Amino acid sequence: MKAKVKSQRAKLKMQNAKCFLYLCLSVLICGSISVHAQNDGAEQNKTGRAGTFAIVGARIVTVSGATIENGTVVIKDGKIAAVGAGVAVPAGAEKIDGKGLSVFPGMIDASTNMGLAEITLGLAASVDLTEVGDMNADARAIKGIHPHSAHVNVTRVNGITTVLSAPTGGTISGQAAIINLNGSTPDEMAVIKDFGLVINFPSVAGGGGRGGGGGGRFGGPAIDFNQAVQRRDQAVEDLKKIFRNAEAYLRAKAAYARDKALPYPATDQKLEAMAPYIHGEKPIIFSAERERDIRAVAKFVGEMKVKGIIDGGQEAWKAADDLKKNNIPVVYTHIYSLPVREDDAYDYLFEAPSKMQAAGVKFCISTGNTGSEVRDLPYHAGIAGAFGLSKDDALKSVTLYAAEILGLGDKMGSIDVGKIANIVVADGNILESRTKIKYLFINGRLLPLTSRHTELFDSFKDRK
Amino acid sequence: MKKITVYFALLFLLLSSLRLPVAAQSKNSVLIKNATVMTAVKGTLESTDILVENGKITKIGKGLAAPAGANVIDATGKYVTPGIIDCHSHSMLDAINEGAFSVTSMTRTRDMLNPTDITIYRALAGGVTSANLLHGSANSIGGQNTTVKFKWGHPVEDYPIADAPPGIKFAMGENVRQTTQAPQPGRPLRYPRTRQGTIQTMRDAFVRARDYKQSWDDFKAGKTKVQPRTDLELQPLVEVLEGKRLVHCHGYRSDEHLNLMLLADEFGFKIATLQHGLEAYKIAPEIAKRGTGVSIFTDSWGYKLEAYDAIPYNAYILWKNGVNVSINSDSDERMRRLNLDAAKVEKYGGVPEQDALQMITLNPAKQLGIDKRTGSIEIGKDGDLVVWSDHPFSVFSRVETTLIEGEVYFDRKKDGQLRLDMAKERETLEKLDVNKAPATGGGPPRIPATTRQAERDDAEYGDGGHR
Amino acid sequence: MRSKLFLPLVAAICSFFAISANAQSYAITNARIVTVSGATIEKGTVVIRNGLIDAVGANITAPADAQVFDATGLTVYPGFFDTLTNLGLGAAPAAPAGGGGRGGGPVAAAPASAAPQPTSNSNYPAGLRPEEVTSDDLRAGEAQFEANRNAGFTTVLSVGRTGIFNGQSAVINLAGENVSDMVIKSPFAEHISFVTLGSGGYPQSLLGTFAALRQMLYDAQRLQEWEKAYAANPKGMKRPEADKSLEALFPIVSGKMPVVFNANTEREIIRAIDLIKEFRLNGIIAGGQEAWKVADRLKANNVAVLLSLNFPKRTTASSPDADPEPLETLRTRAETPKGAGKLAAAGVKFAFESGGATAIGDFFTNAGKAVEAGLSKDAAVRAMTLGAAEILGVDNRLGSIEAGKIANLALVKGDLFGRDKFVPQIIIDGKVFEQKEPVRPPAGGRGQGGGGQTPAGPSLSGSYTINIDVPGSPLSSTLNFTQSGSGLTGTMVSSATGSAAIRDGKVTGNSFSFTTTVVFGGANLDITVSGSVSGNTITGTVDSAAGAVPFSGTKNP
Repeated sequence: MKAKVKSQRAKLKMQNAKCFLYLCLSVLICGSISVHAQNDGAEQNKTGRAGTFAIVGARIVTVSGATIENGTVVIKDGKIAAVGAGVAVPAGAEKIDGKGLSVFPGMIDASTNMGLAEITLGLAASVDLTEVGDMNADARAIKGIHPHSAHVNVTRVNGITTVLSAPTGGTISGQAAIINLNGSTPDEMAVIKDFGLVINFPSVAGGGGRGGGGGGRFGGPAIDFNQAVQRRDQAVEDLKKIFRNAEAYLRAKAAYARDKALPYPATDQKLEAMAPYIHGEKPIIFSAERERDIRAVAKFVGEMKVKGIIDGGQEAWKAADDLKKNNIPVVYTHIYSLPVREDDAYDYLFEAPSKMQAAGVKFCISTGNTGSEVRDLPYHAGIAGAFGLSKDDALKSVTLYAAEILGLGDKMGSIDVGKIANIVVADGNILESRTKIKYLFINGRLLPLTSRHTELFDSFKDRK
Repeated sequence: MKKITVYFALLFLLLSSLRLPVAAQSKNSVLIKNATVMTAVKGTLESTDILVENGKITKIGKGLAAPAGANVIDATGKYVTPGIIDCHSHSMLDAINEGAFSVTSMTRTRDMLNPTDITIYRALAGGVTSANLLHGSANSIGGQNTTVKFKWGHPVEDYPIADAPPGIKFAMGENVRQTTQAPQPGRPLRYPRTRQGTIQTMRDAFVRARDYKQSWDDFKAGKTKVQPRTDLELQPLVEVLEGKRLVHCHGYRSDEHLNLMLLADEFGFKIATLQHGLEAYKIAPEIAKRGTGVSIFTDSWGYKLEAYDAIPYNAYILWKNGVNVSINSDSDERMRRLNLDAAKVEKYGGVPEQDALQMITLNPAKQLGIDKRTGSIEIGKDGDLVVWSDHPFSVFSRVETTLIEGEVYFDRKKDGQLRLDMAKERETLEKLDVNKAPATGGGPPRIPATTRQAERDDAEYGDGGHR
Repeated sequence: MRSKLFLPLVAAICSFFAISANAQSYAITNARIVTVSGATIEKGTVVIRNGLIDAVGANITAPADAQVFDATGLTVYPGFFDTLTNLGLGAAPAAPAGGGGRGGGPVAAAPASAAPQPTSNSNYPAGLRPEEVTSDDLRAGEAQFEANRNAGFTTVLSVGRTGIFNGQSAVINLAGENVSDMVIKSPFAEHISFVTLGSGGYPQSLLGTFAALRQMLYDAQRLQEWEKAYAANPKGMKRPEADKSLEALFPIVSGKMPVVFNANTEREIIRAIDLIKEFRLNGIIAGGQEAWKVADRLKANNVAVLLSLNFPKRTTASSPDADPEPLETLRTRAETPKGAGKLAAAGVKFAFESGGATAIGDFFTNAGKAVEAGLSKDAAVRAMTLGAAEILGVDNRLGSIEAGKIANLALVKGDLFGRDKFVPQIIIDGKVFEQKEPVRPPAGGRGQGGGGQTPAGPSLSGSYTINIDVPGSPLSSTLNFTQSGSGLTGTMVSSATGSAAIRDGKVTGNSFSFTTTVVFGGANLDITVSGSVSGNTITGTVDSAAGAVPFSGTKNP
């Protein structure tokens, strides 16, 4: 990489500006030609094409194991069929020359609202983030996700292949979906349609909001600290009540199922939707930031015997003991945030992942972004890598660790035989912002590296 | 009792210790040794030393001798770049928008500087040494900007760059029209509510400014008896007409920015920068022809309708057309990672490394008219320098030391000591009676915040700090 | 602000009663007299006649017709000044702009006057009307000032405090049934707050506040010239666009009338100084919490400070759900009491003001804290007497005890800066107000319900050896107590300083407190010691400006 930059610089010195401009242009055009060539005419169908592919002679960053300096990855039937230095290319496989390139597992962002909001400011008609009401357990993100959102392509061409997309607002916002960033319908995209229940865990907050979602700008009348504490305590009680109501409801349902002589319990869809969560079958994603809030979540998880995930987690490292005891991982979303208090160290939030790592908290790094900037996921991890986290762990924090927290550790997040072929081929470390993505596979389909951005680029790049 | 004297004396010392995180050092000379120096104009120099004397770079070369008493910084294995210049910021301002009128050219961000704002220090920790502190974008014609260096710990008057030409903020599009906000009951709608109204507001202001100037000319020529008003609204616009004040205009849609340039053509002045200009790539030839600069987000897009056509290739297309492009933050948060924003320009389109680096150093310096003193590593320029742990375009890179005019304003090692000092100081201070909670009762404490409402983007309209 | 519209208040029941001393002369004898302008007279007489000080000295004989008051044990001071209040205006006291705490960030909008805008030839909205004059709004009747007189105040600077232009202030005496009796000087100064107008009009932000101020000052300069030129020769000249708001600024832009800027933080003060320099104003800072940080600049620009004694202290409860306070908040509380001493050292002129302090008694005890933190006692007294009179331009008639000056005097029992300070008599314009010392229920008797009884419990008389837990270097000391009723006298002895007499010693049940001054390294350190005795054990705290440390010990056999 560095060598290449330097030779470019040498050329710059030798040639005049015009020549150089021409050179750059041709590099660019060549680049796009090669992409076109790779994808044949399949660009018409932006969901790419399936096939058997062999990436040959590449550096393979498996993430789960050692990096293979010169190896082959075989993709077949949507899965990774073979990985290794001496792997044979199957007959009929489309060969991709991986010389000078690196192969990575697709990156996973475990906290986004992908497909639920196209333009958040001033275009409410394109936003499906928040339902009316405080308790919307039955609201399923998968039913709101727009598969043709421009955010999808823009995100995936930067190497992010899978995201969790969550609804927002209220106390119980609804259920989050995990989707691959490819597919013509929500179901084609879905990895887990209903993965987790999103709860904005009550915190001491001003205004009308109940912590978590939404800013306080239009948050209702101002309240004081004591009122905020009372409101928080009441909200936690209310939340417990909902859990107990759901339990009672489900018990009555079960009893009726066993004994039809009992009165038929009227159906409550919202409580019904709570079933897998109160039984600890599926995780609840609690947004919580500060130490006391995170400890409160841990306490709640312990008391209610549910499966928890922290979303946000600014000070999760401070509550490591409680989190470990209750087996709660953290989806950390605050690399691109400013430290809250003026006395906080400048790198307070950059260092949090390394502190979680040191404290033994299971975590992954996420953008926490609605959709348009989810493509920056690698740089969030990279910055954590500059502040204490090892480069390997930085990469894991957006691949394997994320997959594990999302219950997909056996399906994605690393380059291992049998895993879903979500694969990125790049000309350098994918965490680096200069690195270019060369090939992209989701579910084993080779995707064109096009997006709203490349289309607009093509339309205007040569305007005179 | 002697012991108690010592104790109290120590305590007093502690209490009176100032808040400067990095004590200002001798300004006389600094020698940075053995660095990979990215000059931003003359390529990258390996194993090179930089000598800064009395605030200015005096020598660049190998094996330079340290003058007596010089602060020597060993940068072996490290990179040095010019200090980053953010051409669009609202940091350290106590107020950003005067929203009462559509033309608020009489306001000055200079009045609003807050040198105790911690975001200054955090920006220094991201390698930013200078910034264009702009009025917000709530008005077709906003207030006057201030070009500053982040001399954290210095008195407020040390911040503005004295010889920077004055400037002013204009704005177009959604923010100015106030159409993304719900109308407030009882508050009349403010003109303009359309794009055609916006450009007309600007035209009207310039027509008034022209008349105003005429009234003074007439008075000076003895044609009128009564001295005209000193009109603080129109005076800066006369300066614009005379080419003495730089216009930095917020806008997104290419047609709007083009209309502004046509208006400027008509009135005979040049627009200094199109701010944001996320669609500037659509009118790159028109911009290039006029020598107007563009200051953009490297790749933000889609947070509002007028940002939906933004593409990360914007910088490349503009650069290819010969436009002076800078990359800005408009956000206290984003400001800390402009180096990575510049790196993205290499990725999208393939702008060469040095040209990409210029987009956060020399180019904004040119746009702000401060390129004679800063923006590149050259003999005679100010010693505004950043020492990086790694290549500044690498995500794994960290700022080690930030210098302005040879003075160290951020140093990662000293920052570590600072944290310890602050913890000790807190311990001492919390023991004082004035800082103890009342034994009984007492008012409610402040409600803790979960996020810092600090991404002071344009008028809080989501331009820079959007998430 | 529009106090005339307010219902007249029912006169409060008054523990003061006035002695008419208009024609007759009044002589205070055997008093300690702090003249401020000259040396303190340890034992002397002040003679008052016709509302003025007739004579003062050690060897003055009371005139034959004089009503004589034996002030043995009392100290006579010039009447004390509070240099920023809204006394006499009837409205509930408004918080001063940016007062009290740290005024960081955008300043909240001050409530604009709710009164309908009077039709007049002003082109400016409420809040931007410098022509409003405080003395027009003063309410008659001296009963309203009782609490302030009781504390020792005779003279205050009063101004309404809303909007950007707060109006023109008045120096008033806290006595007199008619407004004209009260007013010493009106107008004194224009007062300005860096706030926005809450009305939704311009300015809505501080950016606009500064722009609006500048524009009005420019416009006033121009109108003044225009009116002058027109008055000289109106022929062929357009008639000036008269505006009474701008006209009210004429004495300000010509430097004749002072401008008081309410400014507490360093940057607010610098902004004020910048305006003062830009328009060559005769500027004064009020509030001035961080004035010490810019003492040099204040001195260089000859800007005086009306320094608030409303020192910040923590008033919020602690809670596990709350955040720790910012370091800067903690620092500010620790540093503020030292400000006066630093201003004095830098040669900045200053006078004290109450800063809207809720408890008026804090004025003197906080002045005492400023003394503990480095200000000399003389300077402290000056800042509430002659120094104040100088800044307010009334030092030729007030502020010191000199023959010929207005007879404003405060007779003080006890330490002026102590908690037990009492003002048995205050004299304003020669009018004597007496205050009966309240019968103090024994402190701490609340729980036992025994009002008025002598405290029970063992006598604390005796000698105690204590260890003061100074971190890192514990210190041994001996306390020698003699208890007499609820009083406590004796000495505090330490090997390093010898013996120091204890002052203000009090006993309540098992608890005691006293103050003393220990001397070392040439510097005085006032300390307050409080504690309790249980059997042979003694425990407590030694408190000083530098912090509090615990001690414990035992009674010597």
